[in-house]
Amino acid sequence: MGIKRLDELTAGTVLASDLKASDGRLLFKADTELEERHIELLKRVGVAEADVKADAGDLSDETVRDIEDYVRDFFLYVDPEFEPSLQMFRIALDLTGSAVASGWVLPDISDRRASDVEHMEDLFLRGMGSPDTIVKHETELASFPDIYFRIKEVLEDESASAERIAKVVSTDMSLAAKLIKLVNSPLYGFPQSIDSISRAVALVGAKELSTLALGISAINYFKDIPPELVDMKSFWRHSITCGIFAKILAGTQIGLSPERFFIAGLLHDVGRLILFKKLPYASTEAMLFARENSIPLVEAERSIMDFCHTDVSQPLLQSWKFPEGLSDMINYHHSPMEFPNPLEPAIIHVADNLTNAVEIAQGGMYVLPGIDVQAWEILGIKADPLLRDAVDQYHEQIDIIMNAFF
Amino acid sequence: MGSLFSSSISLRKSVRIADDEFIQLRDFIYEKSGIFVDVKRKYLFESRFSKRLNELGLSNFADYLKYLKFDMKKAEELTTLFEMVTTNETSFCRDMKQLKAFQGNVLKEKIDEQRKTGKLELNIWSAGCSSGEEPYTLSILLHESLKMELPRWKITITAVDLSKAMIKRAQTGVYGDYAFKTTPDDIKAKYFKKDPEGWKINPEVQSLVKFQQMNLNDPLALKRVARSHIVFCRNVIIYFDESMKKKVVGSFYDNLLPGGYLMLGHSETLHKISQTFKPVYHPGTIAYKKEG
Ligand SMILES: C[S@@+](CC[C@H](N)C(=O)[O-])C[C@H]1O[C@@H](n2cnc3c(N)ncnc32)[C@H](O)[C@@H]1O
Ligand SMILES: [Fe+2]
Ligand SMILES: [Fe+2]
Repeated sequence: MGIKRLDELTAGTVLASDLKASDGRLLFKADTELEERHIELLKRVGVAEADVKADAGDLSDETVRDIEDYVRDFFLYVDPEFEPSLQMFRIALDLTGSAVASGWVLPDISDRRASDVEHMEDLFLRGMGSPDTIVKHETELASFPDIYFRIKEVLEDESASAERIAKVVSTDMSLAAKLIKLVNSPLYGFPQSIDSISRAVALVGAKELSTLALGISAINYFKDIPPELVDMKSFWRHSITCGIFAKILAGTQIGLSPERFFIAGLLHDVGRLILFKKLPYASTEAMLFARENSIPLVEAERSIMDFCHTDVSQPLLQSWKFPEGLSDMINYHHSPMEFPNPLEPAIIHVADNLTNAVEIAQGGMYVLPGIDVQAWEILGIKADPLLRDAVDQYHEQIDIIMNAFF
Repeated sequence: MGSLFSSSISLRKSVRIADDEFIQLRDFIYEKSGIFVDVKRKYLFESRFSKRLNELGLSNFADYLKYLKFDMKKAEELTTLFEMVTTNETSFCRDMKQLKAFQGNVLKEKIDEQRKTGKLELNIWSAGCSSGEEPYTLSILLHESLKMELPRWKITITAVDLSKAMIKRAQTGVYGDYAFKTTPDDIKAKYFKKDPEGWKINPEVQSLVKFQQMNLNDPLALKRVARSHIVFCRNVIIYFDESMKKKVVGSFYDNLLPGGYLMLGHSETLHKISQTFKPVYHPGTIAYKKEG
């Protein structure tokens, strides 16, 4: 939040950085929560000011009400009395409150419409490109990374040894480097550092590590999308966040391998990237239409293009021969109950909503896509305190994982 | 850090709308305006209308529905309702690619035709004009195309919208920066003057446009619009359901003079709506022609 004068300090204020006396002597370390007696001491030694953390308590009543109204607007597509929606709302409120206390200004409605859509050109006119033709156009044009298929091969080969897997993965240096960073991140929380792929295979498991490698090599395919089409950084942040939540939620269930959920979360909106490549104008229009009408992006896509990003991910993942279970999670993340075995897509579904909820405080523009009551119930978990704990873990992990990728 | 927000804060701030009340409200909206509201938007409507209920001192939606249908002030309330259910997003030169294609092909064709027959006259209808940016943009395009010749022409741009408030705003002709987010600087400099309230449109550009409140769901009103050479209806039918789309597009067809054109928004199409128009493809847009 910044510098406060000594007379503005109150018990409970938390220091943002180490507090030193005029002679450079350390008085209190960063993160110390000041008590009355600390403040007395500061007066005595003649400290004039302190660098303190944002405190939502500093906000005026009016600002608090503005924040409430602002955040509430993102929850107009979910049942207000449904416990998980309510929990997500409260989480979003707290996050937005502290963002505002730290100086973030609530966006104005006029920020909704970007002005730079005008130069974009779609490859298909409305009514002339079906999801299949769009995907075909993409897959005929660009070939998928070779490493992807080699990983897929070992992944499907039950008899593949750990060494062989390690060897295949290690042939792609940048992929291997990402994997090493990832397994050393809090996503895994291994106590000791892991410095080789073979060690990673041993610790994480052969299947899990190859799934991870498969997902990362799929992501690589999109690295050349021009930034003016879509802000790739926030796209991947959304994806990774969803992956983190999906993995945590999967951990509450018996017998699910959490790695798969991280990857499914990571790729859950992959259809959107194809839409951006092939229908940039319509995709941007869909984003604006969603904001202008306070509807979820997926609904706006349907209004603007007659289909949505999961209609596109379906033929796309099929043409990549992506592992079926993973594809199903991705293709059904907006309609889990339409899948015969809904548990897995339901996890991505909930994770995606929670992701949208935490993004509100980061300037996210889209209302929550909507939580299917039945999908939630299949998980058989209680929203409180699980969702909050998940958000705490996410905060510890997100920057480090983002770093592993970019 | 503790939370500022009470841990028991609720998500619903508004009066609850029962399922059957929502259906009644949305059927009412549809019947009056043709605007179709998906059931998924129930909570959004609940929240939007709650404010209105408060203002009126009504404590539930059943009373509001009665008010809408039977109160002495129901006509006024309908106006307010229209403001609440429409999205008025627009800007000058929105979809420049389309406008360029329109100017270079459709408009050019019409102007040439009229010159040939010696009838220097053009009627354009902007249906769903919101706060006026679209019809004024069309007037600007005509100024750009006809230049010195313009005074010899008799041009009318009939601009209509459901929202009274929008029509009023349009008539003042003064705009804030937001209206120019898709507008080339030279156009803005040429046709607008700085004004204490914002940017004021050039009076000559303004004089071609006639504004009028009108409901596209009112077939009799539509019949009174002068026959047009060109109809613009962009980003409006996207809010209608299929049967309303068909109805409105049918009215445009009837209104158009033989050889006239209908222009739709970037993401709108007559695919599945009408086979009577002939789609004419130009890079940047499809123009729908009434052959004659
Ligand atoms: C998104 S704006 C489009 C403005 C402009 N045509 C453009 O493309 O920038 C949609 C407009 O349609 C109007 N509208 C919706 N239903 C209507 C109806 N039944 N009759 C007349 N206008 C209507 C709304 O009031 C709103 O101003
Ligand atoms: Fe999605
Ligand atoms: Fe998503």
